[in-house]
Amino acid sequence: MPLSGETTTRSRGQYSASKLLVSLILSFGLIYLDYKDQYLNKLRSYISATIFPMYVATNAPKNIFLNLKESMGQREKIVLENQRLKTENIVLSSKIQQIYKLQKENRRLHELLDSKPKSEDVFVLAEIIAENPDPFKHRIIINKGSKDNVQINQSVADSKGIIGHIIRDQIFGSEVLLITDPEHAIPIEIARTGLRSIALGTGSYEEIQLSFLAANTDIQKGDILLTSGLGEQYPSGYPVAVIEKIAVLEGEPFLEVLAKPFAKLTNINEVWVIQRAIDQTIDYE
Amino acid sequence: MRSGLYNGLLIKLLTMNRETKNTLFTWSVLMISCSLLVIPLPEFLSFFRPPWLSLSVIFFSIMTPAGFGVFTAFFIGLLADVLQGNSFGGNAMALTLIAYISYRFHLQIRVFPMWQMMLSVLLILSLNELLVLWVEGIQNQMIFNYIRWLGILIGALIWPIFMAFLLNLKSKIL
Repeated sequence: MPLSGETTTRSRGQYSASKLLVSLILSFGLIYLDYKDQYLNKLRSYISATIFPMYVATNAPKNIFLNLKESMGQREKIVLENQRLKTENIVLSSKIQQIYKLQKENRRLHELLDSKPKSEDVFVLAEIIAENPDPFKHRIIINKGSKDNVQINQSVADSKGIIGHIIRDQIFGSEVLLITDPEHAIPIEIARTGLRSIALGTGSYEEIQLSFLAANTDIQKGDILLTSGLGEQYPSGYPVAVIEKIAVLEGEPFLEVLAKPFAKLTNINEVWVIQRAIDQTIDYE
Repeated sequence: MRSGLYNGLLIKLLTMNRETKNTLFTWSVLMISCSLLVIPLPEFLSFFRPPWLSLSVIFFSIMTPAGFGVFTAFFIGLLADVLQGNSFGGNAMALTLIAYISYRFHLQIRVFPMWQMMLSVLLILSLNELLVLWVEGIQNQMIFNYIRWLGILIGALIWPIFMAFLLNLKSKIL
């Protein structure tokens, strides 16, 4: 065992109090800067970009396992899924036909009212490559970053609904804060009544919470929550969650309202990054 | 050609001096423990993840302090912060402090009987966790949950195996 006295005397300099002091001052400086403002984002994104292979490597076993599991699926299952997807495709394309008509009508109405129509969003397809290992932090890393023009604060959705927004840029990837993270809040409106509120993450993947709704609020189980577009963080009109539980707590002035996100947050594969084209107007045909 | 290159590398590795080998060993262990911190686990297992990086930092400061130091702990802490997506500098500060403290008491801890050694490791790991929690608390990101401390307990319990494994590996390589 290398427990000779020689090693200890040789190493004394590396543990001197002055070095400790320098490191502590440096780390307090970093903590302060990170908290106060985002001066460090550039540095951080460069470090993340250099250790990006580590993310890919650590997540490789899981991804390979999932791929294998998928490819081992029986032929029958695949045929069934193919049939299901075909019918779904027919339904969706017939719906799209109506959307063209609605879009045209919408434009005509906007013209009549002499107002500018809302611009259309651009979608970027991304894949999830890593999850935050801390079970109390609902964050994922996707494979599109500032290299692909994906930027901080853009919203992320999957095929069912909003899943979160981008909080950190890592050049080749970016970190997404999910709507169920306890630190997350999303401005929403109830589709049926137009009531606006804020939905907070609870730390459970299955629910988000609406706080500060008065006990006489018109709200029902099954109401659909859409993004309200207030706060300029999320684009308006995307589905977020459906109300699952409303409880009147005795002695409390507010309702306890829980909603279930549309997106399946526990097994996300492909996501859309929504890039809002703010100043871009649609050209009229 | 290929075998020549291989032989050359092997000779280089064999003739490398002790110090370079030691540094190489230290950094590879640190990088591996860093990746173990973020490797995905099934959800029920993720509560039992031992604090690998803090354990390696304690190991190096107590057992083989020559190739390690406060600054090394600082840099690896920064890396862990970025990798875990935590606030910048939190892990760096905590690891710096536990490296210093472990080194201060390394002569005592080395000669402790195993249970006392595990107890001191438990104390140092708890200090590390408290510091990280404190930094998260400053930034209003703290989520306190008792289940978080399970990993610490497991870290202290696996210390004897961890230490024996690394010492064995080191004596084989160097």
